[in-house]
Amino acid sequence: MRQPEELLQERLERLEAGKPLEACLAGLPEDEADLLKLAAGLCEVHYPTPDSAVVTAQRAALLRQATKEEKAMRAQSSLQMEQRPARSRPGWLLPLTAISGAIACLLICVLVTVMGVGVAWWSLQSPDEARLARGPVSEPTSESTSAVPNPQSAVLTDVRGLVEVQARAGTWAAASTGQSVVAGQRVRTGALSSVRLAFYDGSQVQAGPNTEASVDELDAHLSGRTRTVVLTQWSGETDHTVTSAGNANSRYEVRTPTATGAAKGTAFHVSVLSSLLTRFSVDEGSLAVTNLDATVVVKAGQATTVHTDEAPDEPAFRITGEGEVTQSGATWIIAGQTFLADDSTIIIGNPQVGDWVSVEARLLADGTYLADRIMLLHRTPANRFTITGRVDAIGETAWTVAGQAIAVNDETSIEDGIEDGDLVSVEGVILESGTLLAGHIRLVEEEPGLPFDFVGVVQDMAGEAWTISGITVTVNAGTEIDEGLVNGDVVQVRGWILDDGSWLARSIERVEEEEREFAFTGSVESIAPWVVAGIPFETDEWTQVEAGIRVGEQVRVKGRILEDGTWVADEIVRLDDDDEGWHFVFVGTVDSQNPWVVSGVSLVVDDETVVEGNVSVGDLVRVEITILPDGTWRVTRITPVGETGLGCLYFSAVVVGVRDGQIELLNWPPIPLDDDVQVVGEVTVDSIVLILVCVDEDGTVTIVSIIVIYPPGPAGLTPTPPTSPLPTPTPPTSPLPTPTPPTSPLPTPTMTPVRPTPPPPTEEPPPPPTEEPPPSGEEEKVTVCHKPNSKNPHTITISRSALQAHLDHGDTIGPCR
Amino acid sequence: MLDSSDVDLVRRAQAGDVNAIGELYDRHQAHVFRYVWWRVHDHRSAEDLTGEIFARMVASLPDYRPTGVPFRAWLYRIAHNLVVDYYRKESGHALVSLDQVAGLSEEEDNPAAIAEHHLTVEQVQRALAGLDPSQREVVVLRFVVGLPLREVALTLGKTVVAVKSSQHRGLMALRAALKQEQT
Repeated sequence: MRQPEELLQERLERLEAGKPLEACLAGLPEDEADLLKLAAGLCEVHYPTPDSAVVTAQRAALLRQATKEEKAMRAQSSLQMEQRPARSRPGWLLPLTAISGAIACLLICVLVTVMGVGVAWWSLQSPDEARLARGPVSEPTSESTSAVPNPQSAVLTDVRGLVEVQARAGTWAAASTGQSVVAGQRVRTGALSSVRLAFYDGSQVQAGPNTEASVDELDAHLSGRTRTVVLTQWSGETDHTVTSAGNANSRYEVRTPTATGAAKGTAFHVSVLSSLLTRFSVDEGSLAVTNLDATVVVKAGQATTVHTDEAPDEPAFRITGEGEVTQSGATWIIAGQTFLADDSTIIIGNPQVGDWVSVEARLLADGTYLADRIMLLHRTPANRFTITGRVDAIGETAWTVAGQAIAVNDETSIEDGIEDGDLVSVEGVILESGTLLAGHIRLVEEEPGLPFDFVGVVQDMAGEAWTISGITVTVNAGTEIDEGLVNGDVVQVRGWILDDGSWLARSIERVEEEEREFAFTGSVESIAPWVVAGIPFETDEWTQVEAGIRVGEQVRVKGRILEDGTWVADEIVRLDDDDEGWHFVFVGTVDSQNPWVVSGVSLVVDDETVVEGNVSVGDLVRVEITILPDGTWRVTRITPVGETGLGCLYFSAVVVGVRDGQIELLNWPPIPLDDDVQVVGEVTVDSIVLILVCVDEDGTVTIVSIIVIYPPGPAGLTPTPPTSPLPTPTPPTSPLPTPTPPTSPLPTPTMTPVRPTPPPPTEEPPPPPTEEPPPSGEEEKVTVCHKPNSKNPHTITISRSALQAHLDHGDTIGPCR
Repeated sequence: MLDSSDVDLVRRAQAGDVNAIGELYDRHQAHVFRYVWWRVHDHRSAEDLTGEIFARMVASLPDYRPTGVPFRAWLYRIAHNLVVDYYRKESGHALVSLDQVAGLSEEEDNPAAIAEHHLTVEQVQRALAGLDPSQREVVVLRFVVGLPLREVALTLGKTVVAVKSSQHRGLMALRAALKQEQT
């Protein structure tokens, strides 16, 4: 017989489906008909509404919030890839080794001189435009703008997680926002932690997780007076936003185990990748990096690395981003782009094909991308497996679990105390060879029997055998029982059905009466009437019974207990044939369906296998397998899994032409400037731009945005002078590498470069003083009226070597009139 | 114009389409306000809380997976939690009298709206006040807000069976309360 609440719900659903009330009422008992009318009446009530002005204001505020968060997310996930925000940059999580005192001796010889020339350009823009275009630079929060009391102090702001300050005496103490530090003190951050140091002159440095830095010298006077800020970064990653000092003698230096940097108005990033390697990248301005008497100039959009006892690597345009690994080894393919890896490439987390990683790389002179760092962000669900079963054998390099060989290596996390015969859960990755490599092996708590869970009325509490809604349950010293229970109370009982058929209660808790539900598993003793695990129960027309259940099979029964004590099942489903709970689950790509092969694993799919949705070859699917006692696999379910794109990467490139509604980049095919491409900043010839390119799973390449990160002009090529007592910089040994086109599946270059090479970087050592005319020998400049389109001609200054290219696309010599 | 589904809007919002946030707000704000209003009994507080719920929605949206709990149930879970927080913070707050409730809607004062079979907000408000809290919440979510049974269950963290039972009992109690009021 159907219950009234079921009947009511069924009619409500008809009503909600749009059927007339009268039709829904037909045949209903009077009580239920009244309730249905009442429900319909409730839907018709004229309820209060918020004030329209409030709604308008609320909506506007919401959009502002969304816009702000979107920008923040974009900045985090993309432009600030060089800055390691905690949320999107797991790089903050790197547990870099603390640097020993001896390594401090290696702090020599490298000078990074950072030009503030970009600042003037930025300042010429409107504030909003400048702020947008400055995307890569993290903006200080309101918290970080708090006043710094004097030039000899820095104030900690935006303290997140564990941040500690070391006093001169060497003791560490937890730091808080607003706390001051002075020269001689160290600051360090823990995992998932970060902090910002604000200086008196407005300069700021943000330290990511697991970063340690000391303040060596601090006298951060405002513009016009000599500013001195000297830091040593021992580990981790820092972002620096340095205000323009306006004084040639000012110093803003960052020392690392392999480098020392000096800045005068710029934004740059320092990564201490190891005790022997530091990476500098620049978001604004330019840097002259010197080590072992060799100097390189790093411009916005470029990066260089400095090894101990070696000259800095030639600066190169950088590429950063995240994406899926489709090939690993000496050559990696990430987000569809090819990267070379060599001995200096730092690979973190042992990423495998299919995993999602972040990559930092440089464009080499031969057009290849050399990965500096590849870091696992998250494992792909594909080619992952979990298996639950008993340990058959334990070996140094391989275990046997549930009859399956499982490889282990140094990175496998194995819970202590596991022995042969224990029930364990293994998670890992399926290697290309088909080998199952364990990532974690954990003990699984074994239960004494099949679980049950029901809510019923306490009828008898005598001794160790209680009667609850007609069921005899055993209680013992381990049973957790609510205090004060009396006969008639409604309780929830959880426990196990033991091998002898008895029901052992793990807990008995008082519940509200309305929650009279049950769930248990057991063997089917009878079907008409139903009896499972000794429990008789009823079914009604709403009971969902899995087809084909037979007496003797293990089933799970869920339902409710009526007020008269009748147990009514809502659902009866067959349990897997998994007496030992041996399961194997993995996600892979369908190679074939007849016969079934998923990620190289042959599967026996029979009539009892549930295949959800429309699965085709090439789809990503989750495969659930039960391992039978004889070692054979029975595929129980195949479920499609959603997929994501291959990833997104940022490329830095030089603009060689802007015309006919498209941007021409050196060795790139023209990029049409349609509404789908977000352009931030004024794109002109010689600009350095950051291009966000995303690759979908089907190989579709989308250029999402083009952001000007470095303007053209002679100022951008003028480095600041080195600061005493650092060695005299020397010219780089070779010109800036020529960017080459990205490899497939990015657009294949078909164009002939408008210019043979990008504008050359500084080829002379940085001469004092800052912002003075370029040193002699630097390429001659020519002023032209640049006409990127017919409506917006403007005067620019270019290198003479670029003149012909400009004339070719319609520019004229001399200023615009 | 095709009406985008919540899933489409959520995906667009997660991809950075701010307009999709606006559409989600337009689509759900009235019902969210209605739900909150029934819970806090104060117009101003309900407006404020509604704004807070959507702000929380925007902040949490990057972590929401459209393939999991339906968006509406997820949104009302946020609302439910914020209302609970509201009561926790405002413990000891004075309940608004039913006199204050009157006048919130023009129909309240309109005799034509109080037809024979038409319920008024005041009537429903008074009748619901006598219900068990869990039943009241189910009735509000089901019939005032209009969520399907499954989404109510997901919102409240209960089983469908339990919600079905609460729904039936809640309607019975409501009917009894309304009858009593008429007498």
